[in-house]
Amino acid sequence: MPALHQTLTLVKKDLVLELRQKYAFYGILLYIISTVFVINMMMGKPEEQIWNALFWVVQLFVSVNAIAKSFMQESRGRLLYFYSVVHPRCFIAAKLLYNILLMAIMSIIALVSCIVFLGNPIIKVGYFIGVVMLGGISLSLLFTMLAAIAAQANQNAALMAIMGFPIMMPLLMMLSSISRSAFVPVYQPGLLNMFLLLAGMDALIIGLAMILFPFLWKD
Amino acid sequence: MVSDKTCRFAPNIVDKKMAKHWWKALAVILLLYTIIAGFLVKVPVIENNQQSTRNLFFHVPMWVCMYTLFTISVVNSLLYLTKYDLKKDIRASCAANVGVLFGLMGFVTGSLWATYTWGSTITNDPKQIATAVALLIYLAYLVLRMSFTDIDKRARVSAIYNIFAFALLIPLTYIIPRMVDSLHPGSATSPGFKSKDTDGTLMMVFYPAFTGWTLLSIWIYTLLARYKRLELKNIFK
Amino acid sequence: MINRRTSYFLFTLVLLFTSMLAKAQQQNTETGPVNEMLRSNGKIYVVVAVLVIIFIGIILYLIRLDRKITKLEHQQQSKS
Repeated sequence: MPALHQTLTLVKKDLVLELRQKYAFYGILLYIISTVFVINMMMGKPEEQIWNALFWVVQLFVSVNAIAKSFMQESRGRLLYFYSVVHPRCFIAAKLLYNILLMAIMSIIALVSCIVFLGNPIIKVGYFIGVVMLGGISLSLLFTMLAAIAAQANQNAALMAIMGFPIMMPLLMMLSSISRSAFVPVYQPGLLNMFLLLAGMDALIIGLAMILFPFLWKD
Repeated sequence: MVSDKTCRFAPNIVDKKMAKHWWKALAVILLLYTIIAGFLVKVPVIENNQQSTRNLFFHVPMWVCMYTLFTISVVNSLLYLTKYDLKKDIRASCAANVGVLFGLMGFVTGSLWATYTWGSTITNDPKQIATAVALLIYLAYLVLRMSFTDIDKRARVSAIYNIFAFALLIPLTYIIPRMVDSLHPGSATSPGFKSKDTDGTLMMVFYPAFTGWTLLSIWIYTLLARYKRLELKNIFK
Repeated sequence: MINRRTSYFLFTLVLLFTSMLAKAQQQNTETGPVNEMLRSNGKIYVVVAVLVIIFIGIILYLIRLDRKITKLEHQQQSKS
């Protein structure tokens, strides 16, 4: 299939670019570690609930910073070239895939650095990693689309935060309430529903991105 | 042929004009009825609301108006993306603008009411959160619109954001109540207004109130939209 | 154009801020005269306050629209 092939090629291009430059990766790595270190200096090892809240806030800012770059690094000429070569749906699909990959790596790094600097209150580790991965995917999907919109508005990074945070708020609330049960050994009912809701949100965002991005791409 | 241009006072034109404006008269009549009956009707005693139950006729319709206007805004954004007609974009932005006004009034009146019944103004109530989120989204929409200089681009990108945000807002209104318990009457832990309304007096005022306020909000929206259209024409001249 | 919009935003911010301020005050002085008044007669004055807020909101919005239209009229006149 040509569409799938194109998408994968675009993802590969982004990955190769990243591996060569290593700019975004190390930049965000430093960002995560310094943020977590600042939190450590301010409050040492926080309690479970605060740990959870801080972790998701770190996660939120990391995803904003990591994904805002994905459209900013493309120069105008290069975008024009892509426009003439590939279908916009392939382009957005590639960006979504690449950002999911990036965010998955970043989530793991954020988790590890949080555990190192802020202590480890997690009881169900596997469960928590699963939630973090899912959350990272949701965050990256949403911010990819918003970054695409913000890229049209003169690459305004502050605008992305303004647009994203209201939509993000309930998602973050949901994630933190799901992940909270990783800190207690008791089983909590109704978690499956939450997971389904989260998956539904993801599917909805992907669908919307696929439908709306071609309109955004008409320049 | 008698038409708008040849004869201003042709009878059928008058009829047409009446036909165009009847809903504004209806809005005024319904609102008059709402205000008079809203203060006079006998209300059932519900928890510690006492007489402030009458706010049902003034506070709750604000929320309905806000959602109606946001829906109008999204529909116009969708229409814009199919035809690229700038008028639709203007309608979308005006509806969002007036929707924010009504949302703000709903928020302020709601927090005032909450102060005297729930004891605190900002609570973890899902409806309050959902309204705040909706307001923030549409304020972001208006901010997004300000950041463009090119009219066509502004229309296109903001329409996309509008659809994207609205489509995500709808599921959120289902998600949030699952996470926090509502203080609003009618949710799991508190009895609704409808179950206490044995005589049906509340609903007798509530439905007209609801229609009246919505019509008023649409009226204000059309005023703004007409103004914006004139302004647009002025630019292109 | 930007001026008008910013004024609108300032207006909304002020509205939000004053409401917050009013709330904060009310919470601090739970037995103040305003509070007692609003709680008397079965909290009927809460309804009055709500209606007043809505009325003021709509009137302020209309004043804003009025000003805009006046400006447009002036532009129109200066053009023709």
